[in-house]
Amino acid sequence: MIGNDIVDLKIASLQSNWKRKGWLQKIFTQSEQNLIAHAENPDQMVWKLWSMKEAAYKAHQRRFSLLPKYNPKDFICHDTTVDIDGFVYQTISKYEEDYIHSIAYTNRDDFISKVFVDTSKQYKNQVKYYVGNLLNVHISAVTLQKDANRIPNIRINNKETKAVLSLSSHGSFSAFTIILY
Amino acid sequence: MTNEDLLSKLKTIIEPYVQNQEGLQNLSENTNFIDDLEINSANLVDVILDVEDEFGIEIDNDGMDKMLTVKASIEVIQDKLASK
Repeated sequence: MIGNDIVDLKIASLQSNWKRKGWLQKIFTQSEQNLIAHAENPDQMVWKLWSMKEAAYKAHQRRFSLLPKYNPKDFICHDTTVDIDGFVYQTISKYEEDYIHSIAYTNRDDFISKVFVDTSKQYKNQVKYYVGNLLNVHISAVTLQKDANRIPNIRINNKETKAVLSLSSHGSFSAFTIILY
Repeated sequence: MTNEDLLSKLKTIIEPYVQNQEGLQNLSENTNFIDDLEINSANLVDVILDVEDEFGIEIDNDGMDKMLTVKASIEVIQDKLASK
């Protein structure tokens, strides 16, 4: 299982003031708050931990078909893992100057991930294009559909596939992670 | 406080974070903050902090869990106001 999340750091600094009173306490555990307080770059640490939680949330929600819930504090970050309700997800976080991208997964070898610049807000078309290439079908055969829990699924020629897809878009960046089977 | 009063106060609170203005025009109890209004998930924390300030209540983790829709938020706020 996989989940991914991207944070556009420039947009994040405009949208969110994490120094606002009470903000960190609503989302982060005490030990996570300590990590932020002692980080060389606290801003980067806030968004790294946030993207780890979001990525793990997406993987966990899909894995157990859970209803959407806003419980970031229940997802507890360690160095490269996130715990939730006794389950552990491995995470990879990639830092660039302008963004942080995190992937949470249960099985290292089976996913493909891509980050792209997307200023057109047409990221779903770009995702379809990449998915079409990966599955060797024309983009017109690919449709993305969200299920009742708002989890995205890939259909090819209107038939369900077993592919597991996680989408994320923020500011100028979009990302997806996919397991094809 | 009636649900209508609450809805109008909630609308004022969420407005600065809404990225889909069309969704705001069609605001109803069934409106989902993320799917319909495209509020960034990190900004939901700001919505919750603003709600706490506006109504003088404290929203615990259990309350926060639910606050993804207008309906659920109104229920959480009514509940906290009642136990104030």
